[in-house]
Amino acid sequence: MANEPLPPFSSSVRLKYVKLGYQYLVNHILTFILIPIIVGISIELARVGPDEILSLVRFLNDLDLIYVMSTLFLVIIVGTVYFMSRPRPVYLVDYACFRPKPNFRVPFSTFLEHARLVPQFDERTVRFQVKILERSGLGEETCLPPANHYIPPTCSMAAARSEAELVIFSAIDELLNKTGMRPKNIDILIVNCSLFSPTPSLSAMIVNKYKLRSNILSFNLSGMGCSAGLISLDLARDLLQAHGNSNALVVSTEIITPNYYLGKERAMLLPNCLFRMGAAAVLLSNCRRERSRAKYRLTHVVRTHKGADDAAYRCVFQEQDSEGLTGINLSKDLMAIAGDALKSNITTMGPLVLPASEQLLFLFSLIARKVFKAKWKPYIPDFRLAFEHFCIHAGGRAVIDELQKNLQLSDQHVEASRMALHRFGNTSSSSLWYELNYIESKGRMKKGDRVWMIGFGSGFKCNSAVWKCLKTIKTPVDGPWSTSIHRYPVDVPAVVKVL
Amino acid sequence: MDVLTTLTIIFLLYSLYLLYKSYKLKCSRNCYLVDYVCFKPSPDRQITTRKCGEIIERNKNLGLAEYKFLLKVIVNSGIGERTYGPRNIIEGREESPTLDDAIEEMDEFLNVCIHDLFVKTKISPRDVDVLVVNISTFCPAPSLASRIVHRYNMRDDVKTYSLSSMGCSATLVAIDVVQNIFKSGKKSLAVVITSESISPNWYSGNDKSMMLGNCLFRCGGSAMLLTNDPAMQAQAKMRLKCLVRTHIGANDDAFNSAVQKEDDMGRVGVHLSKDLPKAAMRAFTENLKRLLPKILPYREIALIAFHIVKQKLVQPNAKLNKVVAQINFKSGVDHFCLHTGGTAVIDAVRQALRLSEFDVEPARMTLHRWGNTSASSIWYVLGYMEAKKRLKKKDRVLMISFGSGFKCNSCLWEVTRDLGDGDVWEDCIKEYPPKTIVNPYLDKYGWVNEETEETFNREERIEAFKNSPW
Repeated sequence: MANEPLPPFSSSVRLKYVKLGYQYLVNHILTFILIPIIVGISIELARVGPDEILSLVRFLNDLDLIYVMSTLFLVIIVGTVYFMSRPRPVYLVDYACFRPKPNFRVPFSTFLEHARLVPQFDERTVRFQVKILERSGLGEETCLPPANHYIPPTCSMAAARSEAELVIFSAIDELLNKTGMRPKNIDILIVNCSLFSPTPSLSAMIVNKYKLRSNILSFNLSGMGCSAGLISLDLARDLLQAHGNSNALVVSTEIITPNYYLGKERAMLLPNCLFRMGAAAVLLSNCRRERSRAKYRLTHVVRTHKGADDAAYRCVFQEQDSEGLTGINLSKDLMAIAGDALKSNITTMGPLVLPASEQLLFLFSLIARKVFKAKWKPYIPDFRLAFEHFCIHAGGRAVIDELQKNLQLSDQHVEASRMALHRFGNTSSSSLWYELNYIESKGRMKKGDRVWMIGFGSGFKCNSAVWKCLKTIKTPVDGPWSTSIHRYPVDVPAVVKVL
Repeated sequence: MDVLTTLTIIFLLYSLYLLYKSYKLKCSRNCYLVDYVCFKPSPDRQITTRKCGEIIERNKNLGLAEYKFLLKVIVNSGIGERTYGPRNIIEGREESPTLDDAIEEMDEFLNVCIHDLFVKTKISPRDVDVLVVNISTFCPAPSLASRIVHRYNMRDDVKTYSLSSMGCSATLVAIDVVQNIFKSGKKSLAVVITSESISPNWYSGNDKSMMLGNCLFRCGGSAMLLTNDPAMQAQAKMRLKCLVRTHIGANDDAFNSAVQKEDDMGRVGVHLSKDLPKAAMRAFTENLKRLLPKILPYREIALIAFHIVKQKLVQPNAKLNKVVAQINFKSGVDHFCLHTGGTAVIDAVRQALRLSEFDVEPARMTLHRWGNTSASSIWYVLGYMEAKKRLKKKDRVLMISFGSGFKCNSCLWEVTRDLGDGDVWEDCIKEYPPKTIVNPYLDKYGWVNEETEETFNREERIEAFKNSPW
């Protein structure tokens, strides 16, 4: 998506004020229309005098009681029906992220040393991986699970299960402590983990550990990529519409242990360098009593699937290399495809969240280009008017750069994503929650703020969710950033020399 | 006052419109099964008992005890001679399955079955709003749901869900997802795909508790089209009345009854413990407790309540077995679609619900013709009933399935019109039920009982087998 904004318009300072004035006018149009009407009515009333008004009141008093009662009754019925058919609000009560202990750290030096000692890697492979790591935007505190610290890494099912238990249970324990929610009160459980799907499922593992009720609605999503967390939110939202007074626990994670690639194919070595250990547990509810302590309300979820397109379908592909080793192949077109998927997503998202001023501008630009065949560049709506905070999936430095360019975001808007990538690495579907926690830990989350979460996943999918903050989050925030937030933001250089 | 009257009329009309809209919304909350298609693999993938014997003999890790055990399982399984297996196992590559083998197995199913579904229902793939795929033991990236979106060129706003590891009851979990999406009222079309991946999951070790899967699971799958659009009611086959899910994973024994893990030699297999039947029964009982009030007629419920109260007054501490024995399950259900987990499962459910042989015939015949196709088995059972022209309008069909974890899911459908489509049973329905389903190889493999560890010579046996007239 190489579309550029309309440079002549926004670069001129005078026109910038014209644009601001226009935005203010359109977004407050109702107020501007109402004021003259109210003024008109008051003048009319003053002119008519009190007698007319009194006669009107007397007329209303003379009406039959039956007439009044039936009207009132009808109003109540219709009002009830209307309110009952409205969609139920979905509140985010709280969430917790897995906090990796420092002994799981993989600084660059450890990564290099281990890579050199693994017998399956030759020097060329090691150099390539380190080169990727240098440019990845990852920091020195990202963590890998215990199995990956062995030389060579032990990729057994038992090790994968123990990583799953470690990350998932600690996130859920923290969430249950924070919210005081009793496990027996959980009605819906959704777990998403792309690349590890044992029998019984991870959702069954959670049911077993926390002794959840036997009539729980549990779902285990798999293979859906790094945007699966948002897919789980969509499913939770649909379930919460169908079931009233319910609590839903959504667990997003990616299990690294069984997916370490020990081959020589370059495109398949990338995940080794980028993916790190992480998990998030989120408690959603549609109970009215949770409204008072809920942090956010889910306003929109928009899902886009570009699988119909060949290039998009193949850009993140699990396959076996010539030696029979399985790994994820990331194609070179990934950025372009991500940009394209994002464009489709914001086409649907735009009308739902953008203020009227931006929508009108976009409409004019569209009409001019399509109907009058004007040679204007497509107008990219200013999403900074619709959202205060952005959580972009920390897939890698390139993804964040691309989105910053496409959406014309400032460095502060993408700071949460860059810092989460630096501190925790690419934790797949849970990365959005680490980023949200960063924004909260920095004390930037105020009541009424809107957050846009964007995730990308294999297939190729682009999913986004919009949250509205219900109460100002006070610092210090107890979360995965509590020990490191004071050191952030850091300046992440383009290349960190290791070799 | 004319103005007032006009305003009142406008208001009345608007209120009527709101009421009408909410009524339409309510009507759109039904879940209709428009049609379903079961998968019939190509004839070169058929596995006979002889073939099974060959495959077992190939496994160098097996000694006499395991050999006996496996042959006993196969001949007593109730599985016939025309079930289907994956190509890599038939071609002798079961010990080293590749990712391509698994994808190929899935492709054969996805390319045929879903295509047939669209042709049968005259729906274009671009009309599909929701796609739910459940294939338990294989989850590649991108997901099989994405593979289907790609293959059939679906819209970019299609809602996909890829469920995994939820066992043999996952098809009802998928239907639960669809049912909940339908409750929002927006008219949608949903496609549910159910299958199982056998090729990457062959157990090549010698732990007996992990070998059962090898003997019982066969290839199969089904694709279903569901909708909540009342306009498609005439075309639909069944309407979903209720769906009950039970998960007794909180109980440790139940949770550990079916676990995928490495054996002592590091080979991955699904360990089935001796507690499995007990866990299944427990889950089934829990499920029935919640299901029965929803499906039995009021008269029957009142009668049961009366008996319970009577028993509690007379013998407060006695168990409710006598009361349970008096429940007439068939008062609320006309047909039973049981998961074909094995003859033991079918017999256990038959005994618990006090069903006749006629009631469980569809399940037994499905097990014989198709084997245990995991989650899709209940759709083959439904296909049998339809092919036998048993399903008439207003009949109620109960589907029961079990899954690892341990889960028991059940749902009740109401048939909306007389059904008679043979689908995959068309070519063989006349042969069913056969006079006997006893395995013809019961005699052939009887020699196993005469051998001992000393006399058992693998190579000799394989040679003799190859030269035999069978």
